[in-house]
Amino acid sequence: MADPFLSIQHVKKAFGPTTVVEDFNLDIERGEFVSFLGPSGCGKTTVLRMVAGFEEPTAGSIIVGGKDVTRLKPNQRNVGMVFQAYALFPNLTVAQNVAFGLKVAGVAKAESDRRVAEMLELIKLPQMGDRYPYQLSGGQQQRVALARALAPKPKLLLLDEPLSALDAKVRVSLRDEIRAIQKELGITTIFVTHDQEEALSISDRIAVMYGGKAEQVGAPFEIYNRPATKFVANFVGTLNVLEGVVSDAGSGRVRINAEEIGLKGKLNGSKTGDTLSLALRPEAIALGPRPGHDATLSGEIADVHFLGSVIRVRVGIGGSKISLDTFNNSSTPPPNVGDKAEISFSSGDVLVLH
Amino acid sequence: MKSGKFWAWVTFILGAAYFFIPLIATMEFSMRMKRGEYSFEAYRVVLGDPRFQESFTFSVVAAVFTIILGVLLVVPTAYWIRLRLPQLRPVVEFVTLLPLVIPAIVIVFGYIRMYGSNSPLPFLSSDMGTNALLVIGYATLALPYMYRAVDTGLRTIDVRTLTEAAQILGAGWTTIISRVILPNVLIAVLSGAFLTFAIVIGEFTIASLLNRPAFGPYLQNIGANRAYEPAALAIIAFVITWGCMSVIQVLSRFAPKSANRPN
Amino acid sequence: MTDISLSGPAAAGKTLPPAQASAMRLPTQWLGVAPFIIFALMFLILPTLYLILGAFQNVDGAFTLENIVELAQPTIRAAYWISIKVSVASSLLGAFIGLAIAIAIVRGGLPNWTRSATLTFSGVASQFAGVPLAFAFLATLGRLGLVTVLLRSVGVDLYQYGFNVLSFWGLTLTYLYFQIPLMVVIITPAIDGIRKEWGEAAATLGATQWQYWRMVVIPVIWPSFLGTVILLFANSFGAIATAYALTGSSLNIVPIVLYAQIRGDVLHNANLGYAIAFGMIFITGLANIFYIWFRTRSERWLK
Repeated sequence: MADPFLSIQHVKKAFGPTTVVEDFNLDIERGEFVSFLGPSGCGKTTVLRMVAGFEEPTAGSIIVGGKDVTRLKPNQRNVGMVFQAYALFPNLTVAQNVAFGLKVAGVAKAESDRRVAEMLELIKLPQMGDRYPYQLSGGQQQRVALARALAPKPKLLLLDEPLSALDAKVRVSLRDEIRAIQKELGITTIFVTHDQEEALSISDRIAVMYGGKAEQVGAPFEIYNRPATKFVANFVGTLNVLEGVVSDAGSGRVRINAEEIGLKGKLNGSKTGDTLSLALRPEAIALGPRPGHDATLSGEIADVHFLGSVIRVRVGIGGSKISLDTFNNSSTPPPNVGDKAEISFSSGDVLVLH
Repeated sequence: MKSGKFWAWVTFILGAAYFFIPLIATMEFSMRMKRGEYSFEAYRVVLGDPRFQESFTFSVVAAVFTIILGVLLVVPTAYWIRLRLPQLRPVVEFVTLLPLVIPAIVIVFGYIRMYGSNSPLPFLSSDMGTNALLVIGYATLALPYMYRAVDTGLRTIDVRTLTEAAQILGAGWTTIISRVILPNVLIAVLSGAFLTFAIVIGEFTIASLLNRPAFGPYLQNIGANRAYEPAALAIIAFVITWGCMSVIQVLSRFAPKSANRPN
Repeated sequence: MTDISLSGPAAAGKTLPPAQASAMRLPTQWLGVAPFIIFALMFLILPTLYLILGAFQNVDGAFTLENIVELAQPTIRAAYWISIKVSVASSLLGAFIGLAIAIAIVRGGLPNWTRSATLTFSGVASQFAGVPLAFAFLATLGRLGLVTVLLRSVGVDLYQYGFNVLSFWGLTLTYLYFQIPLMVVIITPAIDGIRKEWGEAAATLGATQWQYWRMVVIPVIWPSFLGTVILLFANSFGAIATAYALTGSSLNIVPIVLYAQIRGDVLHNANLGYAIAFGMIFITGLANIFYIWFRTRSERWLK
């Protein structure tokens, strides 16, 4: 990335003795959609608020479009922000809310009206201009909040858990809508969320955060399939973790209970006798043999959850339970609890966690 | 940000000064009765005055009757409005707020003219009737506060479901109100009661114009004739008000936050 | 206690759902509120109407406007004028100072105890009125009051400067002791209702602090504020005990004139007393009508 649009460099934030963000670095390209994903208290919102200008970094700098904005006030930064709780001004109509940023910038009435109409068209609420916020549903309010943030043509769009307050169906449709609008306008966007599915489905890149640091930054596919740390692997998606002992480092044999699997080339210099944590996604495991799967382990069916199109089966292997998903097929009955079972997977899908 | 905090402190401290200086000054003044030393002499004189004891007792009794009348009047009405006649709600709320608009002196003036000894309802022709009218006037004064308190209490419980549950179990209206609704809004009713007490105990206008030997007119009389006792009485009155408000605060901690409401 | 102002009529225009409307036809439903209605009529509405009607009648019961015209005589006019002055001054000052205190404790970044202490104290002080309040201010700012004496000892003689606790300013200053706390108690929830995110949203949209206040904060708290000002006005306009105990009858505010009239017909015209009472209701009523009109007109955004 030769010339990033937004560059967050060595940013630190401490509130009194507690450090909330330590040495956070991230470059974001123009038009990119980046999510900050992490549990609450991981510092993701604090980083966002430093980009917006609500918090001043204890150290480090934030550069937007080649200009250092670290000490700039929020109202001088030209960023658009959408909050979790809508934060529409209750005393203003939808149109007046959207026009707010234009009005304080002194945009002429005719130009402002045109822009407001365009924005309401964009969020598909063209008839709602005269309504007051309390007359709208949560999803509609959040779309108006988005239009309000976008109306003054900000350089950056910051979304602080904008979907958390909405119910499940609206959440999915608005998520897709936000992404479509973002692509249409090509606006550089940061999206803060604690919901991994949201982050995976919407982002160009994800920064997974934990304890005030970025654990891993990468495309959704990469984050999901090649988690760099144990935390990322655990936080993103469901993960099965098995303990294994290296029985022969040279040939890459690892013993799990009484069985052995081959993990040649994945041991990263572990020695014979070392204990390893091995991770496997549920969708990478099959019940019974499957072509291409070179490793098998045997156990007993512990429980069966019917989830509609998918059946999630848990198989007890040694002390741990391994979750795996099989498609619901009306001709094959689901397995019974207590049956002996053999699971198979490709050794290439095993993640060795550090 | 920093300067905002500075001005907040300035405002707070100036406010605190305005409100505490009169209390300190009154306290100091009340203790100056004996020349050359601070003493509680004024308090001893006041508390030992039989007229103080009589008028205070009279007002306490009046306050208790006012509270009973207020509860009997407000609880069933507020309950019924919530349960069956929500369309009457704006009207009743408007009426309960009228005493904030119509001054007490006007209301009592009306009483004197309407319920005089030669009217069809001669409240004023006997002592008991006048006392009743005093309590009625006090209940009117306290109406806005009592109604608000009870209505807020009713809002936090699900009146309809509680009533229906009681009806299914075979309870009649008296039982429902006294055994089901009242206990659930007891805290709110008590808050209203203590507020009523604070308003009524030192009330002057109505008591004076109805010629009742109440605490308010006694205070006024002392104020016109004595030097140090009024200050002592002011402190006593402040302590009583403080006590009532503290009780309300303590009670509010026991109030149901929001019990099993469906929405 | 959040919104004690007259919002009733504003809500009265709502159309009724059919189920509730049908209930109105059953007279038995109304028995439940009958005691309240009878009480309100007998002891609140009819006595008031009686005085209002009396204001427009002469001694023989015939219609006349003479009593109203009589209100213009100098002593009564002066009484109304000073009452209005004290009420306007104490309600406006009380409102703005109360608002400043409420903002300071909610938004000022002060430690938490200041908020709870202020609210507790305000609850007490807003009910601490009447005769004892007069005593407290006499002990503070009277000729022998602590503050007067202390200031005199450092060479500032308040009474030499024309101050008198038995005057317009003295009375206003005294009334503020319950007006300010009443404002604090009522307006604090309204300030609490102003969400932090609104300010942040306004800031990201480029608004200055002042623009945010002008376009959002002030319009949002304005209805509660104005409603409370009206309440404070009525509160001091009808108050008599404090003034009577403080000034005797040396400061002729309307309630004191009316009080004297009720006790001894000092005006030698019973119906003129009705006219004075009518004038008081008229003024507080007018203030409330103005408030209701304002609120229904400009506050369509309120649910």
